[in-house]
Amino acid sequence: MAVSRSMTSWLYISPLMLVLVPFFVLPILVVLVASVFETDGFGGLIPTFTLANYGTVLTSGLTYNLYFETVKFTILTWFFTLLLGFFVAYFLVFHVRNPLLAIGLFLICTVPFWTSNIIRMISWIPLLGKEGLINSALLHLGLIREPLEFLLYSGFAVVVAYVHQLTIFMIVPIFNSMARIDKRVVEAAIDAGASRFDIMRLIIVPLSKSGIALGSIFVASIVMGDFFVTKVMSGGGSASVVGAFYEDISVLQYPGAAASAIILTVILLVMVSLILRSVDIRKEITQ
Amino acid sequence: MSAVPQSVAVAEARVTKHAIAPSRGSRPWTFYVLAGLFTFYVIALYGPMICIYILSFQDVRGGLVFPMKGLSLHWFVDLFTQVRTGDVKGAFDRSIKLAIVVTVITVVVSFMSAMAFRRRFPGDNIVFALMIGSLVAPGLVLGIGVGLLFNAIGIETSPYTSALGAQLSWTLPFGVLVMFAVMSRFNPAWEEAARDLGASTWQTIRLVILPVLAPGLVAVALFGFTLSYDEFARTLQTAGPQNTLPLEIWSMTLNVTSPSLYALGTVTTIISFLIIGAALGTIVFIQKRRGAGAS
Amino acid sequence: MAVLRGDIELAGLTKSYDGVTTVVQGINLRIPDGAYCCFLGPSGCGKTTILRMIAGHEDPTGGEILIGGENVVGLPPVARGTAMMFQSYALFPHLNVRDNIGFALRIRGLSKKDRNRQTDAMIEKVRLTELADRLPAQLSGGQQQRVALARAAITEPRVLLLDEPLSALDEQLRVRMRLELQRMQRDLGITFVHVTHSQLEAIALADMVVVMDRGEIRQAGAARDVYATPRDRYVAEFLGGQNVFAGRVDAINGDLASFASPQMKHIAVPVGSAPVSTGDTIDIAVRRDDVGLVRPGMDVAADTSWLASRVLAVEYQGNFVKVMLDATGTDEFIAYIPERTFFRDPYAIGDVVQATWPSHLARLLAKTTALTA
Repeated sequence: MAVSRSMTSWLYISPLMLVLVPFFVLPILVVLVASVFETDGFGGLIPTFTLANYGTVLTSGLTYNLYFETVKFTILTWFFTLLLGFFVAYFLVFHVRNPLLAIGLFLICTVPFWTSNIIRMISWIPLLGKEGLINSALLHLGLIREPLEFLLYSGFAVVVAYVHQLTIFMIVPIFNSMARIDKRVVEAAIDAGASRFDIMRLIIVPLSKSGIALGSIFVASIVMGDFFVTKVMSGGGSASVVGAFYEDISVLQYPGAAASAIILTVILLVMVSLILRSVDIRKEITQ
Repeated sequence: MSAVPQSVAVAEARVTKHAIAPSRGSRPWTFYVLAGLFTFYVIALYGPMICIYILSFQDVRGGLVFPMKGLSLHWFVDLFTQVRTGDVKGAFDRSIKLAIVVTVITVVVSFMSAMAFRRRFPGDNIVFALMIGSLVAPGLVLGIGVGLLFNAIGIETSPYTSALGAQLSWTLPFGVLVMFAVMSRFNPAWEEAARDLGASTWQTIRLVILPVLAPGLVAVALFGFTLSYDEFARTLQTAGPQNTLPLEIWSMTLNVTSPSLYALGTVTTIISFLIIGAALGTIVFIQKRRGAGAS
Repeated sequence: MAVLRGDIELAGLTKSYDGVTTVVQGINLRIPDGAYCCFLGPSGCGKTTILRMIAGHEDPTGGEILIGGENVVGLPPVARGTAMMFQSYALFPHLNVRDNIGFALRIRGLSKKDRNRQTDAMIEKVRLTELADRLPAQLSGGQQQRVALARAAITEPRVLLLDEPLSALDEQLRVRMRLELQRMQRDLGITFVHVTHSQLEAIALADMVVVMDRGEIRQAGAARDVYATPRDRYVAEFLGGQNVFAGRVDAINGDLASFASPQMKHIAVPVGSAPVSTGDTIDIAVRRDDVGLVRPGMDVAADTSWLASRVLAVEYQGNFVKVMLDATGTDEFIAYIPERTFFRDPYAIGDVVQATWPSHLARLLAKTTALTA
């Protein structure tokens, strides 16, 4: 009985594994293998084991700059998406009294998720550009004399584009965990004399932890794995780990790129597993 | 995770509960602060997109920024006729076809996986970890890994082999997570009741499980379609010689400096909205049909 | 399955999920054909597991289940001639009343015409004709219960298994639905096996009550037997209505045991042929409605046991008054005094009273540790 049961389960799960093994496990292994091979300098790999690629990557000052930039954008994006996502979700769950209206407003927040990310990114150009809406408005109002240069093709623009794309990944899981909070718990806290701040600190935040964790995983892994937004929105002023990886690949520097990719992947996986250790996401979702 | 199915659950949950205190009387100052923040967020969310939709309707003199120069469909015509903007029509065609294949596979495989995950089985934690890993792995790295792998075995990369697989490694974990949320509201006793009344495993799936989960499956389909239709990083190195739509847009952002780009944005958004509309319409249709009691 | 006898025999039935702890411990039981049998016990006592094993939704670890003399272990539910009514009903949320009830017929491949004819007859039987096109979510609890009953009954089972069928209903509806269940069972003339944690429900409905504790049967028998003559302390306390207390035997005169402790010196308990000797500690049960109260100093008839005590609390119950006494120290001691009797001379909290009962109505209970089903 037990044997046939797990057989059935594996039968159901096998199609998933037929995708994950050849299109996740093997590609990562291929990159791992490439990272310990030598290169002939023309895109060919020489199957000789070496850790020199890791040495090169880890001793290069450029690497640390790249990681610094990427981590900087990750932390900034994470901070602003969390701030926005948390309070938007809090507003919808605890301040909008009509439940239907809350659902409607929630759906309004989610609709752009279903449209193209790239389009949403470039849609900032007519706003933030030198002759864009914001600059012309500010000039018109006489608040500035010269157009603000830092708005577009800058670190600012990168963060704006990321926050614009990714806040939804915070709102949805946080909204879901907040909506599960029994409102009577909050009322009980008010009865016990808790202030607005106490309620937030002692009840809302702890009970939304799983949503915050899930959202953080999405935001951090997407920003750290992205190169496109940094490339376009910084106007070439900022680089990212994956962006450098892409450049290396296009000049056929496979082993170095692979080593850097493996380091990034390991960092990501460690980060995610640390978050997952604190929250049982599987249980949270299935409950 | 999932916008559509969970929000429905949330709707049910919220109706039965009282709003946070004070649920009556005057609103606290925090309401106005947060309402302001929310309004700001929604404007920032939609504002820029609406700007480019408007700008895409300029005439031939049009530029990338306001003010509007004229009103015409010039850039839409330009988009589908000019050679310099690349093969937009072909890219649309390829992307939509690929997205449909990805959608179908995502729905079927996510459903099967969620069925398996309802109980514990040996190795379930490993499968779950692989799924999360596949979800968070940097897309470009994975795409290049797939490219190198195909190279090593000696197969050409193409949309329906390497790109399909690479996209599925991203849509499936999403789909399964959404199915988890959908399944959490499925009462296992329904299945037992069907068995008790003589239904075989297949009859149980066909007559009970699938119809009950239908709205959730539509949501998974919407995820599958959108994630594939919009997929960029994993497809870049796996699609073969011909571009999918996001790849086409990417090359346009680097080369094209005319409102054609905005026209393309308008067109893909219209398609996205049609897909959302179709998905919501299907869900409403399913619920209506149940309400009417037809069978 | 030509002979559709619905008698059930459980022989050495055992269930363990992890191989270490057993939730059902080798129980033996015979339920006659056409009986209304209630499994009664607290949650986690294994009663639902037994029901699910009879239904075929779980396999026993050991032992046999015979229905109509045929071992059904390993058979799928539909081949057993059983039908189950699930806790909270498990009505298919996407099907209307008619399609829910007709589900089994659809599975059997009946044509739509035959199906609807049989289904409509059943719908009429449970008085749901006006609601046939409604979805389960649009029905009240009582209506849902009738749909669940009809959906199970349409398979013409020889045994109907009901898992906490009334627990989802409010108090008033529960009483009404109890009558409905009884009526259905008489109409169908088949065996009902009903699992509940409510002693009221069990004794109101059942011909046969099976009291369970931690995977074992404590007592099985007619409702009145189990209620009036509980075998041991567990059964007496679970069914309620009894004062249970322990005492050390001082002497045995004839078949009456008497006690040493000063508080219990006026108590005598018939021990019959039970192997009780001086110095043993025994459990005694006295029905709360057998206990009368008198003021101290009043004469007490011969062959009457009595206890001196003080009133702790008085609870008005309508047709009787529940008086709580501090008579026996640790065990609570309660007297149910008929309403009119009580108010002829009402007691207040703190009053000193004598609790009395005819000695032959007290019962010696079996030691809880000696367990045989």
